[in-house]
Amino acid sequence: MSEEKRIVKSYEEEMQSLNDDLVKMGSLTESQLSDTIQAIVKIDKEAAENIIKNDAQINELRAKIDDQISTVLVKRAPMAIDLRTTISSLKISHDLERIGDLAKSVAKKIEPLPIDLPQELTGSLKRLGELVQKQLNNVLDAYITKSKDKAVDVWRNDEQVDDLTHIAMNEVANFLGKNKKNLELATHLLFVTKNIERAGDHVTNIAESLYYLIEGEYLEGARPKGKEFVKDK
Amino acid sequence: MVMTNNKVKIKTEKLDVFYGQKQALKNVNLEIFNREVTALIGPSGCGKSTYIRCINRMNDVIETCKISGSIKIDGQEINNKQIDVVRLRERIGMVFQKPNPFPKSIYDNVAYGPQIHGLADHKDKLDQIVQTSLKKSALWEEVKDRLDEPGTSLSGGQQQRLCIARAISVNPEVILMDEPCSALDPIATAKIEELMEELKKTFTIVIVTHSMAQAVRVSQRTGFFHLGNLIEVDTTDKMFKNPNNKMTQDYITGRFG
Repeated sequence: MSEEKRIVKSYEEEMQSLNDDLVKMGSLTESQLSDTIQAIVKIDKEAAENIIKNDAQINELRAKIDDQISTVLVKRAPMAIDLRTTISSLKISHDLERIGDLAKSVAKKIEPLPIDLPQELTGSLKRLGELVQKQLNNVLDAYITKSKDKAVDVWRNDEQVDDLTHIAMNEVANFLGKNKKNLELATHLLFVTKNIERAGDHVTNIAESLYYLIEGEYLEGARPKGKEFVKDK
Repeated sequence: MVMTNNKVKIKTEKLDVFYGQKQALKNVNLEIFNREVTALIGPSGCGKSTYIRCINRMNDVIETCKISGSIKIDGQEINNKQIDVVRLRERIGMVFQKPNPFPKSIYDNVAYGPQIHGLADHKDKLDQIVQTSLKKSALWEEVKDRLDEPGTSLSGGQQQRLCIARAISVNPEVILMDEPCSALDPIATAKIEELMEELKKTFTIVIVTHSMAQAVRVSQRTGFFHLGNLIEVDTTDKMFKNPNNKMTQDYITGRFG
C-alpha cells in the first residue's frame, strides 16, 4: 500500500474522510448487530425498539459515503490503489447497510416473541449470532489494518456460519415438529436465523471487496460453503 | 504481461541516449505492438519524448546527442548509419504538441508528402490521396469546400487533424504523437481520441501524454518512464488498476510528479 501522501492536499483529505466515514459506519453496524443478537437471546423488546430506530444513522452514513464517492470519481478520476479503494468502499458501504437492515429486521421479529423462549431454541442461534458478530469484527479489523490474510480468514470462516445456520434451523424445525401450535413462533425464528446467516454473507462480501482493494485481484475459487439447510430426519 | 495476438512492430533493446554528458535514456527495453496504441507517461524530463524521437531518428539533428543500443522495426535495425532516414520518416509519421501546418493551403499541406515521396504520378491520384487522408483524419466534411484556404486558417483542433492527415498521406506504418492534444479544448481532444481509435486499425500508434485519463482512454498498453528509466510497461488496464511497481502507482495516483 502507498504510504506517501498525495500532492493535492484536498484529495488526500477527501480520501481520508471517506475512510473515516466507512470505519464509523462499520462501527455502528457492528453495534447494531451485536445489540440485535443480545436482544433476541434475552427477548429484550426495549433494546429492539432502539435498534429499529438507530438503523437510520447507518442509512444516512451510506448516503453520505455514496455522495463522497461520486465526488471523488468526478473530481479526481482515481487510479490504481485510489480507484480500488473508491470502488471497494462503495461496495463495502452497501454491504454494511444491508447488515444494518438485517439487524433491524431481526429486531422487528422480537416484538411478537414470548419472553420465556425455550432454551433449546436459543443455544445455536446465540452461537450463530456471536460467530457472525466475530466475523464482522474481524473483517473491520482487516479493513483498518489492510490485512489480506485476515480478509481471507473471514472469507473461509463463512463455512462455519453455514454449518451453524443448519444446526439452528434444525432445532427450530424439531421444535415445530413436536407441536404444530408452535408454527408462528417457529416461522419467526426461521426468519431470524436466515437473516443472521445473510448478514454473514455480507461480511464475506466485504472480505472479498477488501481483498480486491489490497491485491487488485479477486479471491480465486468458489466461496467456501457449509451445509445447506435440509431438515435432519 | 498479458499475451497479445499482435506481433511486435518496434523492438527496443539496451537503448542509451546522451545529450552531451546528460543521460536521457538508460538501458530502455521496450516492445511496441503492431496496430495498438501505446501510451508513454511520466513526469517532464523523464525521457518519453526522447524515446519517440529515436524511433524516427529526430535526434539526429541534435549534435550533442549520442545513441547506443538497438531499435528494430519489423526486425530491421534503424539505429545505424546505413538506414535511409528520409525513407524511415516516410514509414514513421509524427504529430507534435502544437499543430504546425505548413504555410500553404489545406490541400497542399496534405499533398506535400506524397509529392516529395513520389507517391502520385498524376493529379487525379494526388486528389484521391488528399481526399482519403482527410477522410481518415475525420476532417474532410469540414474542409472539402475550402481546400484552397490556408491550413493556418483552421481552428487548433482542425489544424491538428490536418497534421494527422499530412502524416498519414504517405501511408506510414507508425504514427508518433507527442502530446497531440495538450493545446486543444475537450471537444477537439475527443475528436482526436476518436480518430485514434479508427487509425489504430491501420497504423501502430505511440503517444506521449501527460493526461492519465487520455492514456486510459486511447491506449492498449502503457509505459511509465522516470529519470530516463522505463520503470514499467504493461497493458493499460493493469497499469491503471493495479500496477506492479510502487513508483508507477505513486506517480499515477499523484503522490509525486
